[in-house]
Amino acid sequence: MPKAACRFLVTLWGFICLFLICAPSVSFCADIGNCLLCHKYPGLSRVDENGKLRLLYINEAIFNTSMHAKVKCEGCHPDIQKIPHDPAKKVDCLIQCHIVEPSSEQKFSHKDVAEFLKKSVHSPLDADGKPKPFPEDFPDCKKCHDNPLYRPMSFNKMMLPGISVTALGRCRVCHKKDDFIYQFYNHVTTRLRRSRNPKNIAESCARCHDNPILMKRHNLSTKAVYSYGESFHGKAATFLDERIPDCLDCHVNPGESVHQMLGYKNPQSAVSAQNKGRICANAECHPSATPKMAEYKVHAEFNLNQSPVRYYFTVFFIALTGGTLLPLMGIIFLDCLRRLFPNTVLIQRKKKHE
Amino acid sequence: MASSSRVVTKIAAIFSKSRSDNEDYFTEVEGVGRIPRDIYKHVTSNPFGDLPRYSPHIVTQHFIIFVTFLILAATGVPIYFSDLFWAHYVIGLFGGIDLARQIHRIAAMVMMAASAYHLVTVIGGTISKLIKKEFDIKRTQIPRVKDLFDLIHDFRYFLGLEPYRPKMEKFMYKQKLHYLAILYGSFVLMAAGSALVFPDSLAKLFSETIGKVWPQAMGSESVSTFFQDLARLMHADEAVMALIVLAFWHWTNVHFVPGRFPVQWTFLTGRITREHQIEEHFLEYIRNLKEIPAEREYMRNLLQQIESESLQQEG
Repeated sequence: MPKAACRFLVTLWGFICLFLICAPSVSFCADIGNCLLCHKYPGLSRVDENGKLRLLYINEAIFNTSMHAKVKCEGCHPDIQKIPHDPAKKVDCLIQCHIVEPSSEQKFSHKDVAEFLKKSVHSPLDADGKPKPFPEDFPDCKKCHDNPLYRPMSFNKMMLPGISVTALGRCRVCHKKDDFIYQFYNHVTTRLRRSRNPKNIAESCARCHDNPILMKRHNLSTKAVYSYGESFHGKAATFLDERIPDCLDCHVNPGESVHQMLGYKNPQSAVSAQNKGRICANAECHPSATPKMAEYKVHAEFNLNQSPVRYYFTVFFIALTGGTLLPLMGIIFLDCLRRLFPNTVLIQRKKKHE
Repeated sequence: MASSSRVVTKIAAIFSKSRSDNEDYFTEVEGVGRIPRDIYKHVTSNPFGDLPRYSPHIVTQHFIIFVTFLILAATGVPIYFSDLFWAHYVIGLFGGIDLARQIHRIAAMVMMAASAYHLVTVIGGTISKLIKKEFDIKRTQIPRVKDLFDLIHDFRYFLGLEPYRPKMEKFMYKQKLHYLAILYGSFVLMAAGSALVFPDSLAKLFSETIGKVWPQAMGSESVSTFFQDLARLMHADEAVMALIVLAFWHWTNVHFVPGRFPVQWTFLTGRITREHQIEEHFLEYIRNLKEIPAEREYMRNLLQQIESESLQQEG
């Protein structure tokens, strides 16, 4: 082989090695704008105008397993047109991003969800389109949502966690691109159920519904998530039980978008007096339950006005426990004292012969 | 040899001194002699027990209930205190909340079976004794007025106002109180626990029974709803109370007080030490003297030894 050809092959081999070393391990990130050039550094942050520290680091590995992994950075941050860029505007979830929705072949947007939200109890506008009191208290998209990670189906199905290799094999029969298969496998299996566990959902609702100032402003007497946590469902949720009902299971009509949540006074609401009896009998919960079961108070609190049963009963048990234990412990204390000082007498008894 | 002589001398001194203190100090037993109230301080005892107290049935029942109670507490308390950091570790030990719930329910069923076994033993034993005309209410857990007097007497003794403890029966006031509390607590825990396992059945049961008699109470709540909620709340609160009473009252009384520490073996052997029997169950000991010839012989010899030491002292 000529010397020049050898030199060429060695150089080519060197470039190939360099490429392999530098190439990212996973290649389906949508970072076409090369934003990670800067945002890959963990220390990247700044203090904003309000004095709040804003962390600007993007963990590529985690982002790639999130639901928005295929959305280009510009999809959510369309105001960024150059590098280095000016401070980015807040993300608006209702804009059209660069994903094409496969069934309609239209550019995707969350606008439909906003329409649902408008009709729900969480809308800042009332039925006449007038602002409700304290409209700023009502949640927008980012109040409840972040960028959730994919949770493949096997997590729920007593199989090995992660992507099922066997299932991927079936996908490959028809679909050729692995990137596509991974993306849709994750998407479909994640969306077959909630992307968050019951505890996480309850915590999300608690941001407002356990805030006493917000509750007082909107004339709500219940610390809903706290009282849910006192129920068995809430306790199981604390232990990360995935099968336990969370807020959405009871407060949303089956088959409807969770964004269409209605107030309990609305006759169409899942928790209205008319519909409440059907909550527990959900096919996935207690299918044979009668309406009587839904009469249990899920949100009972230690509050005389809100739940007299719980209030009086708790007071009774505190009194019973204290009233039982303290005298008993008193007797034990005196017993122990007497055993330690057996010959001590407070009053000397008169002897008969005296 | 010298130390045993000193002990006997001391006993004799107490013997002669106390004789004039109180007429109740001595109890005359035919064929044995006059037994001083504080003889328990001077008897020898086998730590595993000298005298019969519980039948093998009761020992078995206690053991099952003791083990299942600990399992129920270990799987139930972390659920009640789910927001505390340690609860997650304890539930993790049981393989997660799903498995912990199943273990809790199985342990509850075993405990209920042991409770049923206990009721059969007690009721069956009582009927058998009634037929044989051997039933004696004084040897049962049934409360009597005497228990109240015993409590007052004991309280005065603890304060130093009485020189000796009261002469109590096979079951003293503490044990009767505890037994009644267990009867009440077990019923509450089982009923309320069933309300958790069968929520719909209990909901229907209350509405179809109590609810029909008194349909409205507590404002808008029906009485059936009231009882449904009550049953659910009672389980955890009663269980916590039972656990506290067990840990601070039962275990202290039985195992941790001076003289019993570190453990009283009665719960396994079914036998009580002589010293304990005489101190806290004096009247039962007197019955034992009449029923057990070997014990009668032991006590007779001890009294003779003390009497001779006393005479030597006086001489």
